[in-house]
Amino acid sequence: MEPAEAEFLAEQELVTIVPSFSMDRVHLIGGDLGPFNPGLPVEVPVWLAINLKQRQKCRLVPPEWMDVEKLEEMRDQERKEDTFTPMPSPYYMELTKLLLNYASDNIPKADEIRTLVKDTWDTRMAKLRLSADSFVRQQEAHAKLDNLTLMEINTIGTFLTQALDHMYKLRTNLQPAHSSQSQDF
Amino acid sequence: MPSAQKPMRYGHTEGHTDVCFDDTGSCIVTCGSDGDVRIWENLDDDDPKSINVGEKAYSCALKNGRLITAASNNTVQIHTFPEGAPDGILTRFTMNANHVVFNSDGTKIAAGSSDFMVKIVEVTDSSKQKTFRGHDAPVLSLSFDPRDVYLASASCDGTVRIWKIEDQTCVTNWLLLQKCNDVINAKSICRLGWQPGSGKLLAIPVDKVVKLYRRETWDNKFDLSDTSITQPLNVVAWSPCGQYLVAGSVDGSIVVWKVETQECIERTKHEKNYSICGLAWHPKYRQIAYTDTEGNLGLLEDIGDGKKTNDKVASTAAKDYNDLFDGDDDDYLNGDAIEPPSSPTPGANEDHGDDDDLMPTASHQRRAILDDDDNSLDIGMIKANSNLLNKEDDDDDQTGGFPALPASSTQQHFYDGPLPTPRQKPFQSGSTPAHLMHRFMVWNSVGIIRCYNDEQDNAIDIEFHDTSVHHATHLPNSLNHTMADLSTEAILLACESTEELASKLHCIHFSSWDTNKEWTVDMPKEEDIEAICLGQGWAACATSALLVRLFTVGGVQKEIFSLPGPVVAMAGHGEQLMVIYHRGTGFDGDQCLGVQLIELGKKKKQVLHGDPLSLTKKSYLTWVGFSAEGTPCYVDSEGIVRMLNRRLGDTWIPVCNTREHCKGKSDHYWVVGIHENPQQLRCIPCKGARFPPTLPRPAVAILPFTLPYCQVTTEKGQMEEQYWRSIIFHNHVDYLSKNGYEVDENATSQSVKEQQELLMKLFALSCKLEREFRCVELADLMTQNVVNLAIKYASRSRRLNLAQRLSEMAVEKASELATALEEEEEEEDFRNHRNAGYSNSAVERSRLPVRNVQQDEEMEDAEETDEYEEAEETPEVHKQRPNPFSRGVTSAEVTTSKPAVIASSSQGRVNPFKVSSNKKDPLVPSASVLDNMSKYSKKTSSSSRAVNKQSPPVIKPLIPKPKSKQASAASFFQTRTPNSSEKTVEERQEKTVEERQEKAVEERQEKAGRESPEVKVTAQDNTENKRPKTGFQMWLEENRASILTDNPGLNEAEVIKEGMSRFRVLSSEERMAWTEKAKGRAANDLTEDKKRKRPTATEDEEKKNQVQKAEDSNLSKKPKTSGQSTNARLSAFAFKQS
Repeated sequence: MEPAEAEFLAEQELVTIVPSFSMDRVHLIGGDLGPFNPGLPVEVPVWLAINLKQRQKCRLVPPEWMDVEKLEEMRDQERKEDTFTPMPSPYYMELTKLLLNYASDNIPKADEIRTLVKDTWDTRMAKLRLSADSFVRQQEAHAKLDNLTLMEINTIGTFLTQALDHMYKLRTNLQPAHSSQSQDF
Repeated sequence: MPSAQKPMRYGHTEGHTDVCFDDTGSCIVTCGSDGDVRIWENLDDDDPKSINVGEKAYSCALKNGRLITAASNNTVQIHTFPEGAPDGILTRFTMNANHVVFNSDGTKIAAGSSDFMVKIVEVTDSSKQKTFRGHDAPVLSLSFDPRDVYLASASCDGTVRIWKIEDQTCVTNWLLLQKCNDVINAKSICRLGWQPGSGKLLAIPVDKVVKLYRRETWDNKFDLSDTSITQPLNVVAWSPCGQYLVAGSVDGSIVVWKVETQECIERTKHEKNYSICGLAWHPKYRQIAYTDTEGNLGLLEDIGDGKKTNDKVASTAAKDYNDLFDGDDDDYLNGDAIEPPSSPTPGANEDHGDDDDLMPTASHQRRAILDDDDNSLDIGMIKANSNLLNKEDDDDDQTGGFPALPASSTQQHFYDGPLPTPRQKPFQSGSTPAHLMHRFMVWNSVGIIRCYNDEQDNAIDIEFHDTSVHHATHLPNSLNHTMADLSTEAILLACESTEELASKLHCIHFSSWDTNKEWTVDMPKEEDIEAICLGQGWAACATSALLVRLFTVGGVQKEIFSLPGPVVAMAGHGEQLMVIYHRGTGFDGDQCLGVQLIELGKKKKQVLHGDPLSLTKKSYLTWVGFSAEGTPCYVDSEGIVRMLNRRLGDTWIPVCNTREHCKGKSDHYWVVGIHENPQQLRCIPCKGARFPPTLPRPAVAILPFTLPYCQVTTEKGQMEEQYWRSIIFHNHVDYLSKNGYEVDENATSQSVKEQQELLMKLFALSCKLEREFRCVELADLMTQNVVNLAIKYASRSRRLNLAQRLSEMAVEKASELATALEEEEEEEDFRNHRNAGYSNSAVERSRLPVRNVQQDEEMEDAEETDEYEEAEETPEVHKQRPNPFSRGVTSAEVTTSKPAVIASSSQGRVNPFKVSSNKKDPLVPSASVLDNMSKYSKKTSSSSRAVNKQSPPVIKPLIPKPKSKQASAASFFQTRTPNSSEKTVEERQEKTVEERQEKAVEERQEKAGRESPEVKVTAQDNTENKRPKTGFQMWLEENRASILTDNPGLNEAEVIKEGMSRFRVLSSEERMAWTEKAKGRAANDLTEDKKRKRPTATEDEEKKNQVQKAEDSNLSKKPKTSGQSTNARLSAFAFKQS
């Protein structure tokens, strides 16, 4: 899966916006949206929020977890634990990127948030690589990874599985060769 | 409990604390283990001044502007007071000092330390020290003899020693306390005390009693004890007059004794039973400040409940005040002070006849006060108090602090009656206090105006919720505007006058189509704008000259009127202006407000004539405005939202208590808007404050409304609440339609449906509970066809008596309805015969009972009438049409006839051709009504969505639309102008009527063509109320034959159409003749009826009863047959509505 696809899925997440226009309920295949009243918070999918924001039709209310204190706590927790800790949103990385790119003026301390989320991400990626490494080293048949988000799985999933395939092939090829060699000698 | 115990508040971190008052009692000073000394203006002071004196502060004392503290760095330090600047170290110990005290004139301090030493140091010269050695353990507490001869000290070695200061010798010692090795292990810190004034007695808390020792003889005079004391006493403190003694124990009880009589006059318990470690009497009033070992500060007020003490002290104070007042201060303050100062309440004299004996002490005390150069301070304090009175609540979030302030200060002692409340200052709804640097000037449903007033910038930011109204604007605030209002047309700003500039009203009329969008108006000299508001096309400002000035939005000056009192707030919406002002002076924390509601439309009128505004006790107004639909609302400081109930004679009804939704005690909701449809209270949650900060940008929350009905936890109460809420929140529909605004018909019918559904549920509930009388009462609130449903329910559940009563009621209702409608129709028919119309309606009324009976019988033998009804059907059609003219009529008629129009009754008003989806349900005999009900409700919900689709929940700004053609026509018909007999007008009207009729008939016919015959059959029941035919109908009957012969092959509709055109050709005289005839016929019908049904028509009531009885028996004999068929039919109607 491409990162773009993961991002597409993340755009289905709901965020709160404060519209600056008035519109009745909109009926879409994915469900009804609205009604939009100027000044009254309403929940919409991220894709719509970004679209409206770009047209300056709304003000974005950052998700509850997008707060420096909470993210700091999350980062520290992530660093402390050996395993993956649960993330506040399954699309935390995508949402942070999208919202900060398009609505950074509505999010207080946007830069700090960006850094914090990046830190968390880096910590998690390091953990992931480390565990992949130990997984390969110990030649385990299976491993269990909890609390991984879609985007994180995608960063390593394709590569790891292919790499494992290759390694498997190499190993299986190597062993007969080895044994045949031993017979030959 | 006679004394008022205010809730404790957090003062310091956990640990030992100490408390004292300053010399005048204007502030409380505490110190604690966080090393801070805090200076509290009063207990409600949210921002006490803090002075850091060290890592820990063990004890503090304050006198003559010097603050002495014992800190953990083993020093005793001086700080200036109230500035808090360090002023040197007085003395040092090798361990920390545990207690420091001043002597009575403040020249010396004594400090007792954990290194077993006691020192006396002169404040001005720290080199003059006296050291007292003798204790074998840390010193706990000290007390100076007021005459400066002795010093008492208590120590962990268990002894209390009396030292002679002069020669530093121990005069005597008692082994009273338990021995321990350190202060923290001591059971009690044994704060002892000499009696102020004479110093005759020394009080020592020993275990659970206070031992009092006599001076010089050093013998134990007596013990003070109380049964409520179960734990060792920690602290004692004498009242400044020396008559009372307070002691606090380690389990938090506080006991006050009158020493003379040894009687206990006060028992209080710490709210959390923490150990009391600091006690201090207010130097003048009956207040005790106390602190506990957890760092909390508390205050007891009104010790001994008015019957005591300090009235001596107070009277001296009052005398002082009398001398000091030069009549330049607050008038009532002055007035009170003039009252005989030594007139305590009669109760006080009775209860404490021995007060006189204590006169010497008191007078001594008085001298003491005067000696302490308190005079100047007194003035200062009085000034401070009067300032407080004037200052009022504008200093931010002191929760209701301002009304409490005066009560706890000067007045209390010379006047015990109700106290006047300072009048609340004028304010703008939806604004935050003006002294803030960043504030909201207004937040309403249109937008937000913020004001920035800091060093770099003085500006106003205007932002619209709906950017399509106008773009955001930034204005420099050079005139220093403090008031603002915002509407979809304009921005209104106002500033108060300065020395050079007059008070200005500044309007930015951005919706203006010319290029000059702004105008300003200067107020006359000495006149300040105090409140402003905007409406539709007008602006208003209220000034300090008690005037309300109206302007058009373009700047034309319009009406001016005087207000009966100083304005508090104003609000505008559409054509309505609401002004709230002070009607008078409120007492005991209440405000005394009045409200005027004025309509500024074409027909100007005053709706509320300065009626009193109901506020919660001890609260003040915080928000005034209109709901988006135009109903006046206001919010008080207790968070109660009230709304005008136009249905109940313009009374106010509380619709929401925002405090119920608050999580914390100091949380509030800041209201920004109210919507009635959908029911939304838009407000901003504020944590720990009354209003939100501008940054971060607050988010709007929505609260539901709840009427304070009883027992809303029960099903009954809940439904009652819902029902009345629905009623209240649809009042605006009547009002709006009356004033020619556009009304969402869907929403209206929706609400009626909802209400009726609730009534039906309530009905079913009371049926289950065997409350038949209640059932009938409920049915009285129902509309016609819901009553029918109720009848069906009643008869299904075998409550025949109930069903009978209900059907009587149904009939009555129907006839009332019919008369109402008939009267209208008659007015149409006999417009030029007003008088005849009146007499006719009288006839109609007298006919009612007859018709009731008639109807009942018809229900039984419907077959008989079938034929007749068939014939009747066509003319019926045009009568059944919901009266299109009802919209324009007067309000009374609208309210009565409206439900009927919407939920047409079974009395022939139901559209017989309308397909009813539930039609078959009633025929299933075992199905309960509630089954139907659920279907009904399901339908409701689905259709409610449909409604939502069509109608945006926000009612857009109401623009009086030109009334629809229909409505205008209606009003045309309704006008009772005396010259309405003009023929041209008449004829035109006639024509329109006929055209309409024609159209209606066509429509009906078209529909009828599509309907199944079955529907027609059910519809025939409708004709049971035969109405007198109109002239046209009679004419048509006569001439039908001729029409048919002329044009054979016409169907019924075409016949009527043809008939209409022919009828129109007739001259007006002929038509009149027909109408007259129709009237006569009606009368004839009536008499015929009478002849047929009742020979002696005069005994109406009796007859009716008899007939009913007969029917009763009928019913009871064969309830299944007749009852069932009736039911089936009735329910068929009932469900037609949905």
